[in-house]
Amino acid sequence: MKERIEILASGFGGQGVVRLGQIIGEAGVKQGLHVSMLKSHGTEMRGGYVRSQVVLSREIIDSPICESPDYFIALSLAAYQKFKDTVPEHGIIIYDPAFVEQVDKSLRCSHKAIPAKELSTENFDSPLFANSLVLGFVARLMDMLDRDLVLQSILEVMPKFHEQNREAFEMGYKYV
Amino acid sequence: MKRYLETGNFAVAQAAIMAGCRAFAGYPITPATEIAESMSRLLPRVGGYYVQAEDETAAMHMAIGAALGGMKAMTATSGPGFILYADPYGWAIGCEIPLVVLNSQRVGPVSGITGAPGQGEFYLSRYVTQGGNFETIVLAPNTAQEAFQLTIEAFYLSERFRTPVTILADQLITDGWEDISIPETEQEKQAMGLRFAERRVNPGPIFYPPTDEIDIPPVVMGKNTGALCSDWTPTEEGYDIETVEAQHKHAYRLIYKIRNHRDIFSRYETLFLDDNPDIIVVAYGTPSRVVKTAVKQARQLGKKIGMIRPITLWPFPDELFQKKAIYLTVELNYDGQMVREVRRTVPCESAVHFLGKCGELPTVAELQETFDRLLEGKPLERRGWETEAW
Repeated sequence: MKERIEILASGFGGQGVVRLGQIIGEAGVKQGLHVSMLKSHGTEMRGGYVRSQVVLSREIIDSPICESPDYFIALSLAAYQKFKDTVPEHGIIIYDPAFVEQVDKSLRCSHKAIPAKELSTENFDSPLFANSLVLGFVARLMDMLDRDLVLQSILEVMPKFHEQNREAFEMGYKYV
Repeated sequence: MKRYLETGNFAVAQAAIMAGCRAFAGYPITPATEIAESMSRLLPRVGGYYVQAEDETAAMHMAIGAALGGMKAMTATSGPGFILYADPYGWAIGCEIPLVVLNSQRVGPVSGITGAPGQGEFYLSRYVTQGGNFETIVLAPNTAQEAFQLTIEAFYLSERFRTPVTILADQLITDGWEDISIPETEQEKQAMGLRFAERRVNPGPIFYPPTDEIDIPPVVMGKNTGALCSDWTPTEEGYDIETVEAQHKHAYRLIYKIRNHRDIFSRYETLFLDDNPDIIVVAYGTPSRVVKTAVKQARQLGKKIGMIRPITLWPFPDELFQKKAIYLTVELNYDGQMVREVRRTVPCESAVHFLGKCGELPTVAELQETFDRLLEGKPLERRGWETEAW
């Protein structure tokens, strides 16, 4: 594992961006890592812009800012546009084509798409489980995260719909 | 040791309970609301009391009342509430009432921005009430974990020094999430360097000796000791008096019980100071974490840069600033507050610069640019509102 991994997630208020960061962070703590997560948002809770900056490290974390995220989870077009240029060459942008229809091909980092909203709606009649799909997908991409601990963290942080969340997670994990 | 991914607010509430706090009075305010929320849940389970007051002035009075009744007490707020603490805070200083006060700084002045970090109460935390003739103890954590430890330390110091102790945090510390280790056994508490002091009762007849002594038990009301604890200057026996001499004696106590025992609570962190660095960066609270990353990176790039982070902010640690260098103070305000103390303290031939941000942290990239500019001998110029280095 690299000394320090930065994960940036951003989207609209109400999408669960903070929960997403919290679950990754919780999994990090369970693995014995140091974790920091800053959340920032506009004054409105729903519809406004939200950002979680998660840092995972074996060492004590100094700067909690994701200045060059190794992973950027873009859950809105506005978020994608705002932060895409901060992702370094080795970084990965994870996005949902439902929100980010076209990616910037001039970027040197890689892109990985997961149609989480669509899959969630198709399989569970609701977009509610999109984040668990994303987390499954992220758990496979991020080799430093233990898959089972991510799932366990989802189930701990989300008090309801355990069966669907578990299923959505598996679906995201297997998604190619 | 139990590990959590939690907020600084959670850490502070856990610490308060562990330190023996059994009364909390507060008024909810972002970014310290969750301290009140946690305390409202935790205190009844340990036989304590939680009161949501009608405003911050009342909250501070209630917390002082609980402390005067013999309980370890606390209150927590942000800048707009902290200014309302000013009046009762003076009462607690004057009557020497142990108390812990947390201020999580957000963007000001007035209500400013709720969910964003600021550092605008550096001086307010020192001159926290009117009238002068007192010294204060102010501790500034830069992580949730340190907020946990300093909250326990604040309770300890408040008992030994018989004074309110302020924890000066910022929004990112109290609202940010981090891994937090909470010790469970005595051994773990010791290993973490935690110190605890019990509440004692002063039986009288002398409550306010004209000395710099510490470890004197505080006045506790309802014990028929005769101490009044009003907001007037007290005699040594705790009665009201209005004479210059009595006031002089009392002021000596309030100032020198703290100034003469700084070794007990002086805390700081330094980095790369041994090879006479060209630049020494000074920061406290969350910005100091970004500064630390930037300074470590600068060293890898061959730049001779060091760092000083005061943890005890007041009394200000003058003795840390003896090296001749270019000083750069990084703060979350635009007016420059701590930089004034740095200017006052450094050797006279040292230049002192200021980089101010507010509502968001400076980035490592920004700090590197600033270091380069200073190393090239260029001043940080003011070019209008959008330039940070005014």
